Amino acid sequence: MNERGGAPLLSMRQISKRFGAVEALSGVDFEVRAHEVVALVGDNGAGKSTLARMVSGVLQPDAGIIEIEGQQVSISSPSVAHEMRIATVFQDLALADNLDVTANLFLGHELRENGMLQDGRMEQITRDVLAKLASRIPSVRTPLSALSAGQRQSVAIARTLIGDPRLVVLDEPTAALSAVQTAEVLTHIERLRDLGLGVILISHNMTDVRAVSDRIEVLRHGRNNGSFDASRTSFEEILAAITGATHVEPGLRSVG
Amino acid sequence: MTTTVAGVGVGVRDLVTRNVRQSGIFVAFIAIVALFSVLNSDFLSPGNLTNIVLQYSYVLILATGMLMVIVLGQIDLSVGSVVALTGAVAAEVVIKGHAPWYVGVLSALVVGFLVGCWQGFWVASVGIPGFIVTLAGMLLFRGLTYIVLNNISLSPFNGTYYGIANGFLNGLFGGYGIDTFTVVIFAIAVVGYAVSQWRTRRGRIAYQQVVESMPLFVAKIVVVAAVVMWFGSQLARSRGLPIVLILLAVLIIAYSIVMQKSVFGRHIYAIGGNLNAAQLSGVKVRKVTFWTFVNMGVLASVAGVVFSARTNGAQPGAGNMFELDAIAACFIGGASTTGGVGRVTGAMVGGLIMAVLANGMQLMGVGQAVQQVVKGIVLLLAVAFDIWNRRRAEATR
Ligand SMILES: Nc1ncnc2c1ncn2[C@@H]1O[C@H](COP(=O)(O)OP(=O)(O)O)[C@@H](O)[C@H]1O
Ligand SMILES: [Mg+2]
Repeated sequence: MNERGGAPLLSMRQISKRFGAVEALSGVDFEVRAHEVVALVGDNGAGKSTLARMVSGVLQPDAGIIEIEGQQVSISSPSVAHEMRIATVFQDLALADNLDVTANLFLGHELRENGMLQDGRMEQITRDVLAKLASRIPSVRTPLSALSAGQRQSVAIARTLIGDPRLVVLDEPTAALSAVQTAEVLTHIERLRDLGLGVILISHNMTDVRAVSDRIEVLRHGRNNGSFDASRTSFEEILAAITGATHVEPGLRSVG
Repeated sequence: MTTTVAGVGVGVRDLVTRNVRQSGIFVAFIAIVALFSVLNSDFLSPGNLTNIVLQYSYVLILATGMLMVIVLGQIDLSVGSVVALTGAVAAEVVIKGHAPWYVGVLSALVVGFLVGCWQGFWVASVGIPGFIVTLAGMLLFRGLTYIVLNNISLSPFNGTYYGIANGFLNGLFGGYGIDTFTVVIFAIAVVGYAVSQWRTRRGRIAYQQVVESMPLFVAKIVVVAAVVMWFGSQLARSRGLPIVLILLAVLIIAYSIVMQKSVFGRHIYAIGGNLNAAQLSGVKVRKVTFWTFVNMGVLASVAGVVFSARTNGAQPGAGNMFELDAIAACFIGGASTTGGVGRVTGAMVGGLIMAVLANGMQLMGVGQAVQQVVKGIVLLLAVAFDIWNRRRAEATR
């Protein structure tokens, strides 16, 4: 209860980012609380991945403030993000084809003893995690190159269960999945929320978004264009905000 | 359910294609050995087998480090020059400076370490491709070798330093015409091999992965054991256990463990497999790249010591083209040209193929020119086979 009233898990204020001539983000505000799934939606090129990559430590904002539980922070690298217990599923999955499932799950955060890999323990945990996700992966020793697109996505999502994260960023996690697998991912997201984590879900699929998220944030041309309570907003309202049919002034935003 | 079946199916196919690749090398190796033993009765003689080990040890040492560089997705063209430079420094210290042998070895290792730091800095911190940095290094360190040696050769080392590459361990347990110590060492190696294969097999079974049938497995162990013991007894009949072979065995085992079991090795594979993924996952790409080049520098200096000891001196032109032999060994041994794939043991077999080819042709009096032609064609065919094999694996997926 305290958490809900106190500082948000993640707070981003007046975030701007340029890539040369492209203004990917300008003056964006964004917030995630614990126990909350926030969907980030918008057209292609709206700046969703750019925002997500700032949370993951891949990109740094040109201007703006990022706070974690009220503390101003600089998420200067993916390792720093990991230390802050932020886990990410990147849009391009970021998996190594030449390594097996276990090695990918623990990549960059291998369990070690005197610099040596603890393969036995890592495989044990991998099996547990994959069982939790009900993913159909033949063996934890299968090389990634032998997996289907859906299986690869399961591995990428399974990575968010390693290392006790408090904030999980999912950039288009269901893009390559079948209906059944998508349902499993959505169940997984709900489980993360029930565990008290904050979740950022980027997706094109409005049905998925409305099924699991508590709040929907719309980006358009790198600016905030509306914040909606998922349970009380119609499909059309969100679409209108995405396409720009409705324009929401920053001052008038109703933070749900 | 269907996914599971498909997954296992792919696994089986994958295993088969990988084994075709691996056994392809072994079959080629055995075929070459068989060919030369038919063509020349001296080829498998104790003396000549000992010779092969002594003659090509430094290329195998270089190939260990080179494999790591190649798996990382880089290349090192400077190792031949580093072999020359480190040998030259050791010669200056031991021959001119009259320092004890270990001071010479130590100075060579320090120079190799510094060379590795230099190249690692430009590749890892500045971000210049290893190809360019080490091409520059190839010229730079060759030039430095000429400067250090004042354009002339230095010899002889003699004594203990000479013994590094020309000495043998024998007579420890006595024996009649055959060195018991050598045989015992080889027997221990065979038992170690059998135990590790058995454990791997049990591990695979525990993960429901495909293994060869029991009789086939036993047959494989017996054949390998027989070949190794025969090789050991041949050495024992000659001059005993070459010190270089011990050094080589230690390096191969140590670096196999580094690549397969350590976090460092895992990160080398990850960087070579998908640089972006490694970076996003928090792998310290710069650090791993830097230390891989430092390691290569140190191993090049080890090869420099062995080579200068073997030739009992230092020459400005020493180690010329060694980099190409080491690189060829890795690619013949199954390393991928795009990084991320390759094993130390594969590179060793690749190196042995080159060694056996060169030695066999030498015995038959084939000239240098033809030898180079043959080596070039073998390299081309090995990589072509690899690419063809991978395309087929992808097509059947
Ligand atoms: N690394 C980059 N370099 C240059 N432009 C970029 C880069 N990353 C993103 N952009 C640009 O920034 C804008 C926002 O991109 P992105 O955040 O990927 O959008 P979304 O994920 O919402 O589709 C796009 O116009 C895109 O072309
Ligand atoms: Mg995107």
